[in-house]
Amino acid sequence: MYRAVKSNPLKRIATQSKRFVCSKYFPEEPIVPTILSSHIPGPVSTKLNNELGEVYSNSATYFVADYFCSIGNYISDADGNKLLDVYCQISSIPLGYNNPELIKAAQSEEMISAIVNRPALACFPSTNYKQILEDGILAAAPAGLDKVWTGLSGSDANEMAYKAAFMYAHSKKRGENGFTAEELKSVMENKTPGASDMVILSFNKAFHGRLFGSLSTTRSKEIHKLDIPAFPWPKTPFPQLKYPLNEYEAENKAEEDRCLQELESTIKNSSKKIAALIVEPVQAEGGDNHATPYFFQGVRDLTKKHDIIFIVDEVQTGVGASGKFWAHEHWNLTSPPDIVTFSKKFQAAGFYFGNPDLQPKQPYRQFNTWCGDPSKAILAKAIYQEIVKSDLVNHTAQVGDYLYAQLKALLGKFPDKVSNLRGENYGTFIAWDCATLEIRNQVLLSCRAKGVNIGGCGDASIRLRPTLLFEKRHADILLSVLEDVHKAL
Amino acid sequence: MSICSQYFPEEPKAPVVATQEHPSVKSKVGIASLGKVFDSRGVYFVADYQKSNGNYIADVDGNVYLDVYAQIASIPLGYNNPVLHEVAQSDKMIRAIIDRPALGNFPGKDAEEIISEILKVAPKGQDKVWSALSGADANELAFKATFFWYQAQKRGYNTEFSSEEVSSVMHNQAPGSPELAILSFERAFHGRLFASGSTTCSKPIHKLDMPAFKWPKAQFPSYKYPLDANVEANKKEDARCLAIVEELFKTWSVPIAGVLVEPIQSEGGDNHASAEFFQGLRDITLKHGALLIMDEVQTGVGATGKMWGHEHFNLSPPPDLVTFSKKFQSAGYFFHDPEIVPNFAYRQFNTWCGDPARMILAGAIGQEIVKHDLSSQAARVGAYLFKKLEAVQSKYPEYMRDLRGKDRATFIAWSLKDAAARNKFLVDMKSVGVNIGGCADDSVRLRPTLVFEEKHADILVAAIEKVLSGY
Ligand SMILES: Cc1ncc(COP(=O)(O)O)c(C=O)c1O
Ligand SMILES: Cc1ncc(COP(=O)(O)O)c(C=O)c1O
Repeated sequence: MYRAVKSNPLKRIATQSKRFVCSKYFPEEPIVPTILSSHIPGPVSTKLNNELGEVYSNSATYFVADYFCSIGNYISDADGNKLLDVYCQISSIPLGYNNPELIKAAQSEEMISAIVNRPALACFPSTNYKQILEDGILAAAPAGLDKVWTGLSGSDANEMAYKAAFMYAHSKKRGENGFTAEELKSVMENKTPGASDMVILSFNKAFHGRLFGSLSTTRSKEIHKLDIPAFPWPKTPFPQLKYPLNEYEAENKAEEDRCLQELESTIKNSSKKIAALIVEPVQAEGGDNHATPYFFQGVRDLTKKHDIIFIVDEVQTGVGASGKFWAHEHWNLTSPPDIVTFSKKFQAAGFYFGNPDLQPKQPYRQFNTWCGDPSKAILAKAIYQEIVKSDLVNHTAQVGDYLYAQLKALLGKFPDKVSNLRGENYGTFIAWDCATLEIRNQVLLSCRAKGVNIGGCGDASIRLRPTLLFEKRHADILLSVLEDVHKAL
Repeated sequence: MSICSQYFPEEPKAPVVATQEHPSVKSKVGIASLGKVFDSRGVYFVADYQKSNGNYIADVDGNVYLDVYAQIASIPLGYNNPVLHEVAQSDKMIRAIIDRPALGNFPGKDAEEIISEILKVAPKGQDKVWSALSGADANELAFKATFFWYQAQKRGYNTEFSSEEVSSVMHNQAPGSPELAILSFERAFHGRLFASGSTTCSKPIHKLDMPAFKWPKAQFPSYKYPLDANVEANKKEDARCLAIVEELFKTWSVPIAGVLVEPIQSEGGDNHASAEFFQGLRDITLKHGALLIMDEVQTGVGATGKMWGHEHFNLSPPPDLVTFSKKFQSAGYFFHDPEIVPNFAYRQFNTWCGDPARMILAGAIGQEIVKHDLSSQAARVGAYLFKKLEAVQSKYPEYMRDLRGKDRATFIAWSLKDAAARNKFLVDMKSVGVNIGGCADDSVRLRPTLVFEEKHADILVAAIEKVLSGY
């Protein structure tokens, strides 16, 4: 059924595959997608999803997956289809499905103990927790940040970072004084001065999560926010760059200057103290919106000048996909961010920081029952060690450069359908816009029908979020499917 | 053979007290070293989980404590339970660990089966679940469900959003981000993120310096003990507190969409209330078109002698949402009304929407509890323990005030005269080999596993007597 199987480029790729790092992990990875059902989701998927719907909200299901049969860059569904996956559980599969090294980690004594004896980490940590952190999460820490606090998801990581920022800002204001009687009393009624009236500043189109604090900083889409009470926190514009970048250098610089000016005036005009500013290196959910290192250095300078904690949200950009381990390394900042948050591909979540004062003065303030999950920290360690061992960050940078160049040539043939290819020199973290929402959705569906699972973002964009074991041969399959799909539009 | 002995043939017969200080040398080194990279100021001791077994937790200095705190009430079946070991090594678990899905987009073939296992032990009247990652997360997702539902009731379940809603929401302003409230109680604890933190009212230190929603707090009954000698006074107390709730519904400046309550306020001091009080809350929420959310994060999963604490109250109709975490290892909320699922996709959503690895574990925990009827065992052991504690209380009334948790299995607590006395007691208990926790400022709470048996109760009571006899 899968016609592309028969085309020549794919055969050529197949014979080359043994040379690549991915084959080292996945000698049995499919050479090409397999499509067995006439639709995706197919009949088995649909049936299982209907059953699931009886007990669990299933309205966002793409298809029901078979993780036992998924392998490497290929996700298998319940109908036996095998799709090349460049969406990867919303950007959260680092090393492919059923990676043998992660299986080893999952079978280790350390992991079994972490699963069956989950500790309240901040009260009864295990003997090896420090070592697990040092060999994994901390070994991967961004330059300048040598401490970590662990959480459970991207939203959780960001909210704990906000808490750290609020407590820091209040503590600074309070100086050597303790809490006042009035603070102690008013806080129990959720009133100032004990409850904070400080704010977190975020950008238009940002996405930082969906709990009440993080959602108050999320500005991506209405449907993410409607009907949920929110804090009256400010927002400020994020640059809207024109592509290709080299043709619009002057305009783009002017746009970034405009946004920096707006940022400064937002800060100056804020009637409330801004405890922290949070920004994504690339606004992913909001449409893969990029800005240049110049802009981010400007943001860093303004936060320094106005004594605002600078939080970089690397939940989606972190862990290698941008061609650096952390995307903010692309900026070469004069001083590191105050806080960097992570989750998704690291499997463990939390935030890094350097300044010890970002840890509240009193214990039991940044606290909860589990304070993270050692089983995920063990997984993060294994992920980090494989990334280093197989040099997957550089690998991703190279594959990304190849993919970007090919996409530029390919999408250039359909200028009325697609535009604004972005993510040059940014690993496989690549996206483009479709002319309309309908075209975007059509492309996503057609790609899936031809064996590529791909995701959208923003209003009419398509984003690539493959694993770190995505190679040229996978890129070629993706490109060939995209070409077919666009020709047929 | 007792169930505990079946699971743990090697369980220590008694605590081992190897050091004079707690934490001792190696723990202190570990705490200092961890503290360079991870906040370790709250650490009691560094634990050796390999050497921990059943109801006993070992530390790096060779101490082996009888554990009646159990990771802040979150170890269900003892350390290194062999059945959970097997589950942890199963192929299903390994896939769940390494191929963690975005469950809302790409559920695995086995998702329905995993969820059905969890639902087998759902509270009466609940047949659906949404999964989360912690107690705070579960509660906040339940708040979101409540707000979606409340607005849908006003708007019509299938009605589109208005253009004002759509434009105002991006500025975090009403009507798109409506001003709505969750009502909770003084001394309640529901978590420490921003919305859960707004409903928490246990101690200032849990809340200070965080922005909070201005949501109302009613009073939770403060009973006089022993209960059977104070029936009338406590009945009046129920009525007084319910009247406050009613009054808040009528007068609060923004609409109250849901009432959130723990079956027993745990962190806030193990405060109990009667079935009549909870039925009163159920009636008030129905009357005012609000949802009733039971927070079973700490009370759930067997420890009160029923699978869910609120099953003691026979509420009719059942609560709208029941949140869980801790001993279930997986978190989330149960519900039954299909309209609690929002009308559009991607509203109750996030990347992972739960964690199948933890959900598989929850299913296995539920199965073991049912198989060995561990809730009834907890009830039996709790009754035995409570009697013994009553005897201790009559000897040392000053150190065991307001003994509470009768007929609530091992979910037992008492108070001392002040925080200093309580803290000293907790420390002294370590020197006789018991790891035990406090709640509120002046109380001690027992939160053992579900495989805590009479023989452990004997050791615990002897240890308490030993400490108190030195006072
Ligand atoms: C940049 C960013 N931050 C935070 C989040 C929220 O993460 P989670 O869904 O794990 O709460 C996301 C999720 O897509 C994200 O992309
Ligand atoms: C009743 C109750 N709800 C919620 C929570 C918060 O749970 P977590 O610490 O997992 O966020 C707790 C924690 O102690 C609790 O006891």
